Amino acid sequence: MAAAVHKLLHPHHPNGEPPPQSNEPPTSPQNRQDLASMEYAREEEKRILAHWEEHKRPLSPGQITEDASRKIVGHSSTVLRQEDFELIKTLGTGTFARVWLVRLTNPQDGDRNKVFALKILRKVDVIRLKQVEHVRNERNVLAAVAGHPFITTMVASFQDPDSLYMLLDYCPGGEVFSYLRRARRFNEPTSQFYAAEIVLILEFLHEKEGVAYRDLKPENILIDAEGHLKLVDFGFAKKVENRETYTLCGTPEYLAPEVIRNTGHGTAVDWWAFGILVYEFLVGQPPFWDQNPMKIYEQIVEGRVRFPSAMSPEARDLISGLCTVDTSKRLGNIKGGAGAVKAHPWFRHIDWEALYNRKIQGPIVPHLRGPADTRNFDEYEPEPEGREPYSQDMREKWEDCFKDF
Amino acid sequence: MSLPPDYSNEISALNREILKAQPSDVLQFCANFFLRRLESQRAEFLLSQQHSSQRGGGMAESTFPGSNPFGTSPSGGLSTSGMHRLEEEEENDAIASPTAASFPRSDMDNTQAHSDTFGNFAGFQASANRSQAPKAQLPSAVGGVDPQSFPSNYNLNRRTSVSAESLNPTSSLHDNWVPPFHQKTSEQQSRLKAAVAGNFLFSHLDDEQSALVLGALQEKPIPTKGIKVIQQGDVGDYFYVVENGNFDIYVNKSGKLEAGPEGLGRKVGSVGPGGSFGELALMYNAPRAATVVSTEQSTLWALDRVTFRRILMDSAFQRRRMYEGFLEEVQLLSSLTPYERSKIADALETRKYPAGTTIIKEGDVGESFFILETGEAEVYKRGNDKPVNRYKKGDYFGELALLNDAPRAASVISTTEVKVATLGKDGFQRLLGPVEGIMRRNDPSKVAALDDGVDPLAKAR
Ligand SMILES: Nc1ncnc2c1ncn2[C@@H]1O[C@H](COP(=O)(O)OP(=O)(O)O)[C@@H](O)[C@H]1O
Repeated sequence: MAAAVHKLLHPHHPNGEPPPQSNEPPTSPQNRQDLASMEYAREEEKRILAHWEEHKRPLSPGQITEDASRKIVGHSSTVLRQEDFELIKTLGTGTFARVWLVRLTNPQDGDRNKVFALKILRKVDVIRLKQVEHVRNERNVLAAVAGHPFITTMVASFQDPDSLYMLLDYCPGGEVFSYLRRARRFNEPTSQFYAAEIVLILEFLHEKEGVAYRDLKPENILIDAEGHLKLVDFGFAKKVENRETYTLCGTPEYLAPEVIRNTGHGTAVDWWAFGILVYEFLVGQPPFWDQNPMKIYEQIVEGRVRFPSAMSPEARDLISGLCTVDTSKRLGNIKGGAGAVKAHPWFRHIDWEALYNRKIQGPIVPHLRGPADTRNFDEYEPEPEGREPYSQDMREKWEDCFKDF
Repeated sequence: MSLPPDYSNEISALNREILKAQPSDVLQFCANFFLRRLESQRAEFLLSQQHSSQRGGGMAESTFPGSNPFGTSPSGGLSTSGMHRLEEEEENDAIASPTAASFPRSDMDNTQAHSDTFGNFAGFQASANRSQAPKAQLPSAVGGVDPQSFPSNYNLNRRTSVSAESLNPTSSLHDNWVPPFHQKTSEQQSRLKAAVAGNFLFSHLDDEQSALVLGALQEKPIPTKGIKVIQQGDVGDYFYVVENGNFDIYVNKSGKLEAGPEGLGRKVGSVGPGGSFGELALMYNAPRAATVVSTEQSTLWALDRVTFRRILMDSAFQRRRMYEGFLEEVQLLSSLTPYERSKIADALETRKYPAGTTIIKEGDVGESFFILETGEAEVYKRGNDKPVNRYKKGDYFGELALLNDAPRAASVISTTEVKVATLGKDGFQRLLGPVEGIMRRNDPSKVAALDDGVDPLAKAR
């Protein structure tokens, strides 16, 4: 089983070189019959994956929550493996994850063009960086929210001895971050459009799912083929419901004051971050900044936002309402919840119903050559080789935590 | 009438291309040609914009009209040139700790921007090697950003997320965590207090939290000079206060301590008694931004992140659960959902009064509602010498103020030092709307009954 051992140690191939075809099963089934039925299940599953989008329509927020078990996507697959996907190119890297553009290996005739984004997390890194809890939250939240028009759909998740995998629908437009940095800042109509789609996401996550997202920033907002937003990276998302939570997480410039002060936080942190986001859209940089992160945090807990003179009064009022240190006064968290944000004058031109149903044309519709076009993504270094293996000790201690993945 | 010269230029270029390529699908060829032209024109526009901004002249607007991300429409959108200028900010010089000091800023150079500041950390450093600059940021775009539009030298790279170890409140588990306690003399105590007074992470603490945190600081003798207490680039778990002795601070441009005589990098400062360093470690695990070396025999106080954050978390958690428990007893609010109750608990403000304070006064217009958290108080009504009631922990009063502006029906005076949790009518309505609406959920007749003057002061538990 030399090949299998090799795969264990080097689950991903450097430089995006496709993995060799392997005829070896991932496990050792008792007999040939098991093997055959498993192969059949895999092929069947791949076929469904290639076609799931044909059944896709925007679900209403109610449908997403009610029909969780009947959804064709978001399940934990026992038959898929990495070999079912050909790694084409790295789309992005996080602290411990790498996201690849992939296509099905041995696709059926019509499915050759079907691509996905595959997020791969090595268990050893997840454990080393103490993110086990976060990764479990990520999978569970993504499974629960699959079907929302502005959240990246997790089609399936699976694992092998070394790694965890989340198969996502591919958003070929790339990060809002890249467009924002290129444009330096967005004008008001563009900012309003994107901000409004984010409001719908937060409304859904908070009020339907009881989920705090906790890492809102332009880097985590992608643009899909039609020019609509897709929120990705649910690594810090957590079902909080009516309990506050305490683990510090997020991105320095976007952290809410209550997170810094560790007094307990909930969904209100997303409204704070949303205020920072709108500011960054309009100004090109967030309101609190210093080279020294401690000074950023000091500014945040003080909460004094300064506005460029040309910013419209409505935008200032919205941002001030959102970036309010006292959560009992923060827009979005006070009476009316997301509804109060939607009713803000800065959003008076938005038709919320049409927006939810993706009927409003976005300001940027990516120019694409085909479904697998990656021109909107940056180049990333190949994955370093010779990384720490997932040892038997670790496996014994932790494997149980991953069993539902 | 003649055709515009730009148009003629484009057409003749197209003609040349057609002659050269002899395409079979002419229409597709032309479409491709114009798309390419458009793309390069956009890129050029982007560049020219950067150049003009470098000269500091009137900068073209990068607005986003329609679907063109590099739109050239001069009047599109609301962004006008005033938007480029943030008001200049006064430097904050509040923090006493040398680790918070800003060192000379490098220019808008993306790779340099982080390594020059002591307080600067992994988040940003990591983001530098995480990816190259976005494709579209051609070299000149990266280097030549108008300083006026980014007055604080903003780092334009992707930002990395940060997170601390996951913390779950003790009270929800069975074990009973108590923070470590290290005895200190009263002089040591007050020196420590003074040392952290300017640090915003400590200035928000109440007396109890502050006592726990100061108690948890552990003495760490540094026996001799030349000891590296923290090393640039290493993971950081501890925050230090200098009790006595002295330390030098070094920053290596590479972002981490290197081997060899020059490995420490440049000396950027030193820190003596009452100073502190390494406070970012109290937030999350980030590589140290500098190396700190003892210059003589010294003594430090050390505090680790998990202890610090756990003290804060446990006290916040206990306070919230206590408030929620109190609120459950408030009849007027009995129909609140747990979610609403936790929102109110979050909004309650803690206040302390010495013995003998009149907390509410009979006849005044009521604004706020109170829960007695610690201590005792007495209730007086005009015409009675003796108190008509006594309040202890968990009792509440003044809740009718949430409902109407009726005058207070009695006075409440503290008999010991007291701690109360309080919320105003404004605050309540801001969060949940009028109390009447909430009461009507259960029983529409209730509101009327209360309006009829049931005296809530008479029914303390
Ligand atoms: N569904 C997707 N389609 C296209 N690109 C994606 C998708 N999901 C993630 N990416 C890219 O990968 C990057 C990292 O993914 P993310 O989920 O944020 O990883 P991490 O949790 O490690 O930060 C994203 O910023 C984005 O550029």
